[in-house]
Amino acid sequence: MPLYESVFIARPDIPAQEVENISVKYETLLTENGGSVPKREYWGLRNLAYRIKKSRKGHYVMFHIDAPAAAVVELERNMRLSEDVIRYMTVRVETHDEGPSIMMQTRQARDDRGRRDGGRRGGPPRPRSDAPPAPAQAASPAPAPKAAAAPETAKPKAEAASPSEASSGEST
Amino acid sequence: MSEHARSSRPALPRRPFFRRRKTCPLSGANAPKIDYKDVKMMQRFLSERGKIVPSRITSVSAPKQRRLAKAVKRARILALLPFVER
Repeated sequence: MPLYESVFIARPDIPAQEVENISVKYETLLTENGGSVPKREYWGLRNLAYRIKKSRKGHYVMFHIDAPAAAVVELERNMRLSEDVIRYMTVRVETHDEGPSIMMQTRQARDDRGRRDGGRRGGPPRPRSDAPPAPAQAASPAPAPKAAAAPETAKPKAEAASPSEASSGEST
Repeated sequence: MSEHARSSRPALPRRPFFRRRKTCPLSGANAPKIDYKDVKMMQRFLSERGKIVPSRITSVSAPKQRRLAKAVKRARILALLPFVER
């Protein structure tokens, strides 16, 4: 039987559970009409590249279909009538690739990568062990209002260290 | 076609030739499969505005360029790629 790949986009306002129901309904529709669905993928609620029916997001579902043409026609007819499916596309393919499609593969890679450097992204810069830059910067505004003509540079730095903590607390 | 490019370009006339000697990035070993779902791969061959870049710049072979164009157009229908950006 000819092999197809079908992708449809569901409206973003319906819950993911409802999308699951729809895709199961289509799967049974195909199997009842003499076909099989070797793969069914949910790509999630993705951003659309442009607005479709006023929305910028949609639930993407992909099927691999092995069915007679009449079954596919019936599937497309149902998609056309459904109010929840805003776009669909069925393509004839030569072979069905095994394993997750490109969309699922990149998601897995992203999850793995996210966990690795998850601590870095976002959030305020963490206090680092090399402290000298901080007191040096905080020391410059602190002696300025003081205008202390203290010849020793070590003492104002040490004195500025404690008020600098207070001033940095105020500034941040 | 190369001579026409040579006469109209003010730059070194040899440049279009050199580019064409580069192999097609979609052929040969380890070449990515042209898939309308592979947005990352396709974006390499699109301009900033989302237009398909001609093969004389990307040095994609002619049959691969046709398949790539078809894949891009399919992806555009599925809103995986924009028709126009900005």
